[in-house]
Amino acid sequence: MWDFIVSKYNYWIYIILMMIGFYGMMAKNNFMKKVIGMNIFQTALILYFISTAAKRNATLPIVEYHHGHGPGIVHAVDFINPLPHVLMLTAIVVGVSTLGVALAIVILIYKRYHTLEEDEILGSKGK
Amino acid sequence: MKGISLIIVMIVGSMLIYGTLEMPKWGDPNAPAAIHVSPRYIEKTWEETETPNAVTSVVADYRGYDTLGETTVIFTAGISCILLLRKKREKAGGE
Amino acid sequence: MEKIISNSPALIVVIPLISAFLTLGIGVLKKKFCYPFAVIALSLSVFSSVVTLNTIIKTGTIHYHLGGWDPPWGIEYVVDYLNGLILVAIAIIGLMIVIFSKETVKMELPERIPFFYTIFLLEVTGLLGIVVTGDMFNLYVFLEIASLAGYALIAIGEDGAPLASFRYVIMGTIGACFYLLGVGYLYIMTGSLNMADLTQILPNFYHSKVIMVAFVFFVVGVAIKMALFPLHTWLPDAYTRAPSAVSALLAPLMTKVGVYVMIRILFTVFRPEFPIKMLHATDIMAWFGTFAILFGGIMALSQTDFKRMLCYIIVAEIGYMVGGIGMANALAIKGAIFHIINDMFMAACLFLVAGIVMHETGGHDISDFTGIFRKMPFTAAIFMVGALAVIGVPPTCGFFSKWYLLLGGIEAKHWGFVMALLLCTLMNVALFFRVIDKGLYVHALEHKLEHASEPKELQFHEAPLSMLIPGFIIAIAIFLIGIFNQAILKNIIELAIPSGL
Repeated sequence: MWDFIVSKYNYWIYIILMMIGFYGMMAKNNFMKKVIGMNIFQTALILYFISTAAKRNATLPIVEYHHGHGPGIVHAVDFINPLPHVLMLTAIVVGVSTLGVALAIVILIYKRYHTLEEDEILGSKGK
Repeated sequence: MKGISLIIVMIVGSMLIYGTLEMPKWGDPNAPAAIHVSPRYIEKTWEETETPNAVTSVVADYRGYDTLGETTVIFTAGISCILLLRKKREKAGGE
Repeated sequence: MEKIISNSPALIVVIPLISAFLTLGIGVLKKKFCYPFAVIALSLSVFSSVVTLNTIIKTGTIHYHLGGWDPPWGIEYVVDYLNGLILVAIAIIGLMIVIFSKETVKMELPERIPFFYTIFLLEVTGLLGIVVTGDMFNLYVFLEIASLAGYALIAIGEDGAPLASFRYVIMGTIGACFYLLGVGYLYIMTGSLNMADLTQILPNFYHSKVIMVAFVFFVVGVAIKMALFPLHTWLPDAYTRAPSAVSALLAPLMTKVGVYVMIRILFTVFRPEFPIKMLHATDIMAWFGTFAILFGGIMALSQTDFKRMLCYIIVAEIGYMVGGIGMANALAIKGAIFHIINDMFMAACLFLVAGIVMHETGGHDISDFTGIFRKMPFTAAIFMVGALAVIGVPPTCGFFSKWYLLLGGIEAKHWGFVMALLLCTLMNVALFFRVIDKGLYVHALEHKLEHASEPKELQFHEAPLSMLIPGFIIAIAIFLIGIFNQAILKNIIELAIPSGL
């Protein structure tokens, strides 16, 4: 049983983080809290992908080379998987860009309604 | 709203945890993700791209098109911020 | 010329991308040159997509390896019959809307013209990139390009636009993150990101819990992006408050690209027996489609704002397509794929009319349509073509796709879907006759009073030519697609139906 938990607890921690972010996005009234929830959700997703790249007793995926000639025979089992790291470089950038556009829209909302609480805005829209 | 959100979060979270029950162990060197596509990236990175860093060779050579997409995403976000936040010029005769 | 034909799948996406960068440079120097440059860029893209479709009809599916690396180690573009037709439709509608946008952008967004055209071209790039790719993560990158451009384009509209766009940001990000979660769960069990490769590997894993959870997250994520019934709440506000050119671009294209992604994931990545027989997911989707049709029709009847009414009609149309996929037989899928193309043209036509009316009268309420048959007869003609296509009157294209959907529903013995389709047709008739009634108001008025001269606001004042020509081309296209529907169906769509149905 302990073996089962130790081999899977990383996924469970990331899922709990994702759910914290997801709850923040849906349930909170303040727009800044929704944006922060979105950031937490995306960051937890990135952490989940990175955890699929790990290998026991393996090192960074940089092969040793000596000037002039290459590293000789390379065994893939000694190096961690580079592909999820590559995908997550792109995903981090996408997350930051979405954060930027969301914050610009929040600025526009604040300039118009002078408040960031959703229930106040929906209440005052009838005016 | 908070009650419904809590129920939805519980359902989604339990579905995700149900999915992890059959996943490979953390750090397993025989996992499908470590056997199928990525060994070629590590083993042939010096032969095919002369780059010792496997992440660089994947990002810039094997999957370089994704990097072009990523640059476009940053460009889109930057121009969107200008589009959204630009103020009208007060003086007459602006561009 | 040989090089252009062999590289045409990549050219479709790369030309608007590079032009977006160049439009910014040109536009900052000289604002007048943005619009012609954008028109030229999108016409080149239409040309490449037609060349690609031609190549597919002659020689079959195109596999284009980007960078020269074989899949699954590199990214590949797979253009088959399903993709090719949708690419041509997206490129043509993008070109028509950019021609249409000149006057409305000058009226609604005068000081932001270069940035508007840049983001417009990036949005079309994103949509084209989603349709043409054969790699799961590349689809996510282009989905985010299209979504980010969409958030910004919607938020610059009229009064409640930033609020509507923020709601779209939150729901759209949830959808894209669920899609990425699905990709992650698939990757950890198979190790591959290429669609063709996954089709080979996945049948060994059909009984795995991970793959089933991945499938559920794919379907929910794409359903948020395509505004399927309970997850549609972002759509009415966002497309109503956006500027006219933006809603004319986004409303026909964004949700239908979501339907294409769902067909790809359901039937190409996961073979058809998985969702149909093992998970019975298509039965659930058929019921959601039925509810979407009824909900969209009933809510559209109660609107007084023309654009909001069109948004609920779009929700109902998505219900047709998802219900058609849910019937899971070849006739219904044929109808659903044909309906993707038809709905793009029908929605473009109607939102274009809404943009013209907004340009002439300053509002998009149904009462702004008063006297339109006398004031703007050409616009009224375009509106009639769009209305007849949505109702489903032959020989417009809408009739044929509804016919195949009905036949598919009858063959699958799903009477709820058939009833919903027929009811929604009746509701559409009521909706559009309400607008036509307002438009013909002046004829009733003229018979009552016997004036020699017409009152001033009912004089002939037609929209500028740059807004009418795209409308005519789209209306003619609706008729041509309807008249030549058998040619399109036999040569392209029947070959696009996934095998095994």
